[in-house]
Amino acid sequence: MTKEELIRSLKKIVKPYVQDEAAFESLSEETNFIDDLKINSANLVDIMLDVEDEFDIEIDNDAMEKMLSVQASIDIIAAKLNEK
Amino acid sequence: MIGNDIVDLNVAFVQSNWRRKRFLSKVFTEYEQQLIKSSANPDKTVWLLWSMKESAYKINVQQYQDVFFSPRKLQCKILSKTKGLVMIKDEMYLTESQINNDFICTIASLKKDVKKLNEAFELDDDSYAIQHKQSSVKLMVAVSKKWDLPLKDVRIKKNKIGIPKLFLNTKELPISFSITHHGSYGAYSIVC
Repeated sequence: MTKEELIRSLKKIVKPYVQDEAAFESLSEETNFIDDLKINSANLVDIMLDVEDEFDIEIDNDAMEKMLSVQASIDIIAAKLNEK
Repeated sequence: MIGNDIVDLNVAFVQSNWRRKRFLSKVFTEYEQQLIKSSANPDKTVWLLWSMKESAYKINVQQYQDVFFSPRKLQCKILSKTKGLVMIKDEMYLTESQINNDFICTIASLKKDVKKLNEAFELDDDSYAIQHKQSSVKLMVAVSKKWDLPLKDVRIKKNKIGIPKLFLNTKELPISFSITHHGSYGAYSIVC
């Protein structure tokens, strides 16, 4: 899966939880889920679970700990997909 | 230092489905999951524990300036209906919660009997931008009154890791505070 494809899938996953639509429109690798998209932290858990379902991977606690931005998320997803 | 967190119970009910598969095990320790399971009101217990974790984390992030998302590592212990403890690595935080049918608001502190000014309030609108603005204004008004500062010169700015700080024009004020909002409710807590 290319980076662009990963970002596209991730964008679809985070969309329902976004509270700042303008920041979502201009989403980039640097975008932070909480500071930029204003995602409620309880919904971050939903994002982790949605990512696990979508990519059929397991996000362990250590991985989850730093999964706060688009960049960190695609790095972790790519690494987990590679392990498969 | 101080940390607070508010959960609008009605909004949480529609916004977060904690009953979905693997949600509880991602967020809560075995002990906390037992508390939820055996609770007469599991929804309230879930959000009480959540607000305890969030409020303690907000102090931890001020202490160590390190942002992370690892709710299971924030370990709660409930001491009474309203009081609790949260352990984060080697630090212990004391929590006190206000619980009613509309919201749960928790304030965490590092030691007992910290003198503070708290207010929880209802917001007019539930759009994020308006909630945020209204909560900030409430805090700034309280600070301006308490320390007799001109309201028009009091500002809130976030530092580079997202922690809000109070300023008088461009000068940072040495005031420890925490601010939170969710759904139709907001709250601040100021150490004084």
